[in-house]
Amino acid sequence: MTGNEVTQLKLTATNCRLNVLRLLKASGHGHIGGAYSAIDIITALYFYKMRVNPENPQMEDRDRFLLSAGHKCLAQYSVLAEKGYFPKDILDTYGSLGSHIPGHPDMHKLPGIEANTGALGHGLSIAVGMALSLRMDKKDSKVYVVTGDGELAEGSNWEAIAAAAHYKLSNLTAFVDFNGLQISGRVQDIMNMTPIADRFKAFGWAVRDIDGNSMEEIVSTLDELPLDTERPTVIVAHTIKSKGLSFGENQIPYHFWTPAEGQLEQAEQELQAVADAYKKELKGEEK
Amino acid sequence: MIGALEDPRKVFGQTVSALADVNERVVILSADSGKSSGFGDFMKEHPERYYEFGIMEQAVVGIASGFATTGKIPVFCAIAPFVTARPYEMFRNDLGYMRQNVKIVGRNGGITYSDLGSTHHSLDDFGIIRMIPGVVILSPQDPGEIRSACKAMLEYEGPVYMRIGNEKIPNLFEESKFTIGKGRIIRSGTDVTIISTGSITKNVMDAAKELEKAGISAEVIGMPTICPLDEDMILRSAEKTGCVVTAEEHYIYGGMGTMVSDLLCRARPVKVKKLGIPNNYATSGPYAQILASYGLDSGSVSKSIREFLS
Repeated sequence: MTGNEVTQLKLTATNCRLNVLRLLKASGHGHIGGAYSAIDIITALYFYKMRVNPENPQMEDRDRFLLSAGHKCLAQYSVLAEKGYFPKDILDTYGSLGSHIPGHPDMHKLPGIEANTGALGHGLSIAVGMALSLRMDKKDSKVYVVTGDGELAEGSNWEAIAAAAHYKLSNLTAFVDFNGLQISGRVQDIMNMTPIADRFKAFGWAVRDIDGNSMEEIVSTLDELPLDTERPTVIVAHTIKSKGLSFGENQIPYHFWTPAEGQLEQAEQELQAVADAYKKELKGEEK
Repeated sequence: MIGALEDPRKVFGQTVSALADVNERVVILSADSGKSSGFGDFMKEHPERYYEFGIMEQAVVGIASGFATTGKIPVFCAIAPFVTARPYEMFRNDLGYMRQNVKIVGRNGGITYSDLGSTHHSLDDFGIIRMIPGVVILSPQDPGEIRSACKAMLEYEGPVYMRIGNEKIPNLFEESKFTIGKGRIIRSGTDVTIISTGSITKNVMDAAKELEKAGISAEVIGMPTICPLDEDMILRSAEKTGCVVTAEEHYIYGGMGTMVSDLLCRARPVKVKKLGIPNNYATSGPYAQILASYGLDSGSVSKSIREFLS
């Protein structure tokens, strides 16, 4: 992949972050922290890695994406909108009565959503079923899941993690959005699930630690998938909660954020400046 | 043959296996439960469609949902509380909310796992699963109904919960097509309507014969579908008899009796008596003795109804 293409992905991720602000403007609040920590990965999956077609969201041989940590859906909605799954003005309905984009995703309300996640500890099990079934049908479609790090305390995850390894599901890749924070504090203080990679490894997964907000690292890791042809892969993505929200990065209160007056505008200006810089860089490279 | 005894788990397993032989969309999921659910032969004949997961019922319900998203028809059978109470949120979200075409079968249901005690009894499954919108609940009453219900369950597109027991049960009816949502008038009567579900319908039928000897004409309705309830049949019968008794191997709170009461309260208020297990952890012991201790043997049912009518 060229530097130009990586920059383009960075620009897309920034535009998606701007879409998240649009959602927050509509509702007045939302789970920005996890959305911003995971959004680089989700952007790379949809815009670089996955075989998907927004014109035909149910395309039979599509790759599947499951947001097990459904509260990060601001990121997924923003990426799906940017990819063209639905008109962006739907983003303006976030938080309104009967919206197609509730606070946790609903597959029956929005194209591109594969499962009704939000209750934590469900996504990996559903993904295991999908991956097994796709393999049974001899399809080469892949299944990708994003979980939270706090979410790993849910025991049902470890049932699914065992099952995925038992069935050697190399068509399944999980990303743990390891931002280290959850609503009540630091994950390591609340229920320490580290060392995350070693735990997955002990269950039989192929593991890789990366900087989950570095588009270069994300893309180069995606290029290597599957890490093992006999095992499922987990990418432990070290991320920064609220990455891109300058005044909220790595701060617990921004898990769920109700912007004060002027904060959204400040965030928008800053992100727009970042986007402009990427645009300039792209223009420069074109020359 | 009417009266012949059969093991409901074997009947279920053999029927689903035969249907799955010709329907390649069907996959059997097991939580260390497949063999005891009657899939011993299927697992050998179709290993490519038989998946063992070990004892992880929460994940298996989610995994079933994942299979269904690709057009498969997963069937997951295990001990009733472990596929209902334990993975309840997975049932609600991954099957109900996601509207997935998954068939969950709770075997050894009610108190049929008699002497294993309350952890293995399932006296709340109708009550909790009926709270999940869009789930069909089946409770066949004899081996023939289990066979025909299995066929209907696999033909139906959507989440289904079916409860079967484990004690051998007699064939009560000539086998016929099973229509989801339809009750069965087993016996016509004019003095009282008795609505029953599951295999204790046999005791209710015997009780109705005893009542006849006492000069009481009981109408017996067998209700092999709990959700959706055959409301028309219940209302027509209540209109005729003016009083209703429900009988089920379930808590008297929350199950079929509660659903019938709610319906009658709303649409045709009549006197109702609910027979079942009181809201407590049921005692353990031989199955027939537990049933009798909770007044669900035929003699007790008939006695309760005589008292109710007097």
